[in-house]
Amino acid sequence: MRGRATRFVYDPALAGFELAPDHPFKPLRFELTRTLLMATGLLGEADLVTARPMDDDLLLAVHDERYVAAVKSAATADASGRRAALAAYGLGSSDNPLFDGMHETIARVCAATVTAVDLVATGEALRATNFAGGLHHAMRDRASGFCIYNDLAVAIRRAVDHHGLRVAYVDLDAHHGDGVQWLFYDDPAVLTISLHESGRYLFPGTGNTYETGKDRGRGTAVNVPLEPFTEDESFLECFETIVPRALAWFSPDLIVLQAGADMHRFDPLADLWLSLDGMGRSYRRMVELADEYADGRLVVTGGGGYDPYQTVPRAWARAWVELTGTRLPDALPAEWRDEWGLRLGVDLPETSHEDPSTWPPAPRRDAITSRNRSVVERLVPTLEKIWNDSAVKGRA
Amino acid sequence: MLVSDVMTRKVVAIGPDTPIRDVQALMEQRNIRHFPILQTRSSSEPDALIGIVSDRDVRLVGADHPRAPAGVTSADPISKLMVYPVLTAHPEDPIEETAKVLRENKIGAMPVMDEGRLVGIVTGIDMLDALVRMSGVYEAASRLEVEVANRPGALAELLRHVASRNVNVSSVMTTRGDPDTVSFILRVSTVDGHGLARYLRSQGFSVPWPPIPSTGQAAQGRGSADSDHVSADPVGGSDAKA
Repeated sequence: MRGRATRFVYDPALAGFELAPDHPFKPLRFELTRTLLMATGLLGEADLVTARPMDDDLLLAVHDERYVAAVKSAATADASGRRAALAAYGLGSSDNPLFDGMHETIARVCAATVTAVDLVATGEALRATNFAGGLHHAMRDRASGFCIYNDLAVAIRRAVDHHGLRVAYVDLDAHHGDGVQWLFYDDPAVLTISLHESGRYLFPGTGNTYETGKDRGRGTAVNVPLEPFTEDESFLECFETIVPRALAWFSPDLIVLQAGADMHRFDPLADLWLSLDGMGRSYRRMVELADEYADGRLVVTGGGGYDPYQTVPRAWARAWVELTGTRLPDALPAEWRDEWGLRLGVDLPETSHEDPSTWPPAPRRDAITSRNRSVVERLVPTLEKIWNDSAVKGRA
Repeated sequence: MLVSDVMTRKVVAIGPDTPIRDVQALMEQRNIRHFPILQTRSSSEPDALIGIVSDRDVRLVGADHPRAPAGVTSADPISKLMVYPVLTAHPEDPIEETAKVLRENKIGAMPVMDEGRLVGIVTGIDMLDALVRMSGVYEAASRLEVEVANRPGALAELLRHVASRNVNVSSVMTTRGDPDTVSFILRVSTVDGHGLARYLRSQGFSVPWPPIPSTGQAAQGRGSADSDHVSADPVGGSDAKA
């Protein structure tokens, strides 16, 4: 009998570090989310699971050995002598600075995502989260976009190789999920789907509709580039047009959702204009789609999200309540706001919801909606043709 | 980037007496669009380049088409169709020069000659591939457009500001608007293109893209995070931390 529970993988070390002072990627978001959920009573001690230990074999199934050695040496490196060598691996830039214990810390993030996959794959839990994970830009031999190791790829590799599962990866982060896509681009056991702001201007620049996988994995990459300033309704329309079809074709055993929270209107690093409610509706649909196509098996990670105090904790708390079929109270607990407000010197939100009706409408809303619609309407027949011809056969 | 970096080295060349129908067959089988025509000389000298034909010249032979060559049949030798003299490139020509010659003469390819010997062929598609590579589009990056005054040192100053943020530049492209300004398209390896744009704006640069993000509630919400990005001392950033 399989457990019906949802588990929250937790380890204090996952939130207790900084890439650099003032770095926009703030691991503390994870702790803000956990404490918010605990203060509301929607998350209890019994829901928490400690991350398993990490071994290098899991990392090396995805990452290049020399790269891992470089990361291990980075924190102890003689700064002047090894700088150029490390820069070749993308290490030591303003995006990916060197910091003490970087290997151990990010390896632990990977271990936490592997733990979430193990819980769901073995049936100990139906769903599991690691909101400290979601480092989707890291490449085989290169740090990129705040990501040193690709915990998602490590965990997906584990699901495929160790548990023998077919995995569908859905990436809702505002940035294209390039690292995961390229790591599984020719792999018929892994479908990657990414909805993101168009890479015409935004990092990393990839994620065009014509990136559809190659060789034995032809048809197993799906990309939906969206216009800057896309709002809830257009985002959800594109989601509904593409994601259920792709999952129905592929018929996964497990779905991994990267729930980066930077598609929100107030995120300072990207230009999508979703509200918390739009994000929450997409999370709910992912739960429903996992029920429909993967026997419910769903692993959820964090990802981007650079409005760390107002937006990210509320977005991920919303993801948790969608996974557990509960509801956030309208008023957020005063003790949570007071404690963190005092410690961080920032205002934390008073309510779980927003009032988007007070926001000025997006410029060119109709043009954006129609452009997004035409992108997905052209994408569907293209994908269906590739899927029909593809060597990869869904079991549906 | 030079012609030798992008040219095709294995050139399929043909003799002037080759029947046109054989060239047609070769074109389809090998998926080749341009054939240099070589004339054998004495054994001590390399073969002479005496002409070139393109797929369009060859396809029109025998066709019911106003521009089909009159009085030529597919049994005739290719020398009846070939174009000469031939515009050629040198392996050490810069590719932008080669691209200009191709466009000005509206031709699709040029044989590459080195000391009288055919060493390669370079096509419009090779130019496009080179442009794509030079644009840095294969590297993960954000894209910024910055307008500066058209004067010596303007680009150096811009890049000095970018460097002060410890951000790597994967490519710089230039476009010109009015004579007084130059637009640079920078591809920079950072997720935080907005942060870099904000910093450049604070230093007086005009940055038409990316757009200034939504404000309002966000300003309050982002709190200290936002002010971090516009910190007064960018040099004290990652260098000091790392």
